[in-house]
Amino acid sequence: MTVGQREEADPVALPAGSTPGPPRRRRVWGDGRLSALATAVLLVALGGCWEIGSAAKLWSPEVLPAPSALLPALQALAGDPRFWADAGRTGGEVLGSIGFGGVAGLLVGVSFWKAPLVGRVFEPYLVSFYAVPLVLFYPVMIVLVGLGTPSVIILASVMAAIPMALNTWVGLAAVPPVYLRLARSISCTRWQQLFRVALPSAAPYVLAGLRLAVVYALIGCIAMEFTTAQAGLGYRIRYLYDSFETAPMYAYILVVLVVSIILTALLAVLERVVMAGRNRS
Amino acid sequence: MTDRGIQIDELTVRFPTPDGEQVTAVDRVTQRIPESGFVSIVGPSGCGKSTLLGVIAGLQPVTTGDVVVDGRVVTGPDRRVGLVFQEDSTLPWKTVTDNVRFAMQIAGVDRAEQRRRAREAIDLVGLTGFEEAYPSMLSGGMRQRVALARSLALEPSVLLMDEPFAALDQQTRLLLGAEILRIWRRTHQTVLFVTHDLSEALLLSQQVWVMSYRPGRIIDVVDVDLPEDRDASVVSTPEFNQLQNRVWESLRAESLRGFRQESAVGA
Repeated sequence: MTVGQREEADPVALPAGSTPGPPRRRRVWGDGRLSALATAVLLVALGGCWEIGSAAKLWSPEVLPAPSALLPALQALAGDPRFWADAGRTGGEVLGSIGFGGVAGLLVGVSFWKAPLVGRVFEPYLVSFYAVPLVLFYPVMIVLVGLGTPSVIILASVMAAIPMALNTWVGLAAVPPVYLRLARSISCTRWQQLFRVALPSAAPYVLAGLRLAVVYALIGCIAMEFTTAQAGLGYRIRYLYDSFETAPMYAYILVVLVVSIILTALLAVLERVVMAGRNRS
Repeated sequence: MTDRGIQIDELTVRFPTPDGEQVTAVDRVTQRIPESGFVSIVGPSGCGKSTLLGVIAGLQPVTTGDVVVDGRVVTGPDRRVGLVFQEDSTLPWKTVTDNVRFAMQIAGVDRAEQRRRAREAIDLVGLTGFEEAYPSMLSGGMRQRVALARSLALEPSVLLMDEPFAALDQQTRLLLGAEILRIWRRTHQTVLFVTHDLSEALLLSQQVWVMSYRPGRIIDVVDVDLPEDRDASVVSTPEFNQLQNRVWESLRAESLRGFRQESAVGA
């Protein structure tokens, strides 16, 4: 029987007794390092081309200033209280929208799953909302809520909630029925069924939704500041554009880019934690 | 009543199909399994085997009649009844140990006890060394062992298995079958095992129930008088052949009837 057992264990291609973790993890880290190196090389190459192009006067510094001219502008921003006020306001708006939109989307997704009829009735509207440039409603929001942070957060939250709700719903619908039967057979409460079985099973979808939610919240906030707001990074970029202050404008744009990259990277880390062991490769 | 084991009394289960017809999946079944008995149900696919199991597990509502497990009428899921599913029910985000502990966590077993029982159950199903592995790293047969360990760790008095090996290859089935027997001889649960494999049924159990195609009735009960400590070599003995022929005789007509009806529905 023991011989048979070994044979049964064979397809895993793991020597008995060794822990299955390390070789897999090492490979993932290797991939991570490789891509980090590639990114660094790419950035340096891009920066080099940009600098050389500017030095060779391929384009005028009014259109695109050289990286070496941007550095002092960035340094100036770091000491500028107005920049920190703008960044604080936009950061608060983005985080608020991710928070409200994420939670609202999750709730909507879960209730669509719990009440399939409600889901079937509202799903088409939710999907068509995807196609609507919600920024258009910003003036309406100003009329309703007034200028300032709340109107930005409300619209950006709606934008963030839509992909979150749809992904949560799809993820929950894809939970293998046997997991739910298991939950019932071991007398899980409804709460345990949702939080211990269904949502963890749907986690990859929910996370993909959160990723989109973050992107949408960022786009929503910046775009709305861009149009009518009185402060914030988006507003400042447009203001600098209007007054031909190219170098500071690019410095602001760079800041927004870096922030969005950091947010995406944080989500990638979260995704790696949640997906640990799940990849059936 | 202090009678342990499973008593099924005049059990009927009907439910509507998606196209509005009433299906009688289980029709007036009266049977009993004594404590520590090992019974297999065989029958054509589409008969009420899984439904019957679902009723005993408390997942499927009864139309008339009742099922008594260890002296108590089944009214809903009960942790004294362990269930192993046909599909892979290991949770992919949990390690083997955490999968085994999951049911105990829900049942509120204390942590030290959880650890002890998880270790024992994992050892019992032969997965020692894979405690921290994720299901994605394991073969289908090993995942079914994890699911079995999860049920065993709750220390149920009744173990229901719904074609647990259906998705596995023949060699793995044979080996896992022998494992089930070995575990059963140690834990002495009352086992009801659903399969569509005749030799698997005869190899494992003390009694085989043959179920008919809709309406699902038990049309034959075959006592398996093969040696207690039999192994896979028993399949070549004349006694085994005789039993197999007997079960097949009962089953053949039913399988044909089921096959015709399914084809007629399909046409």
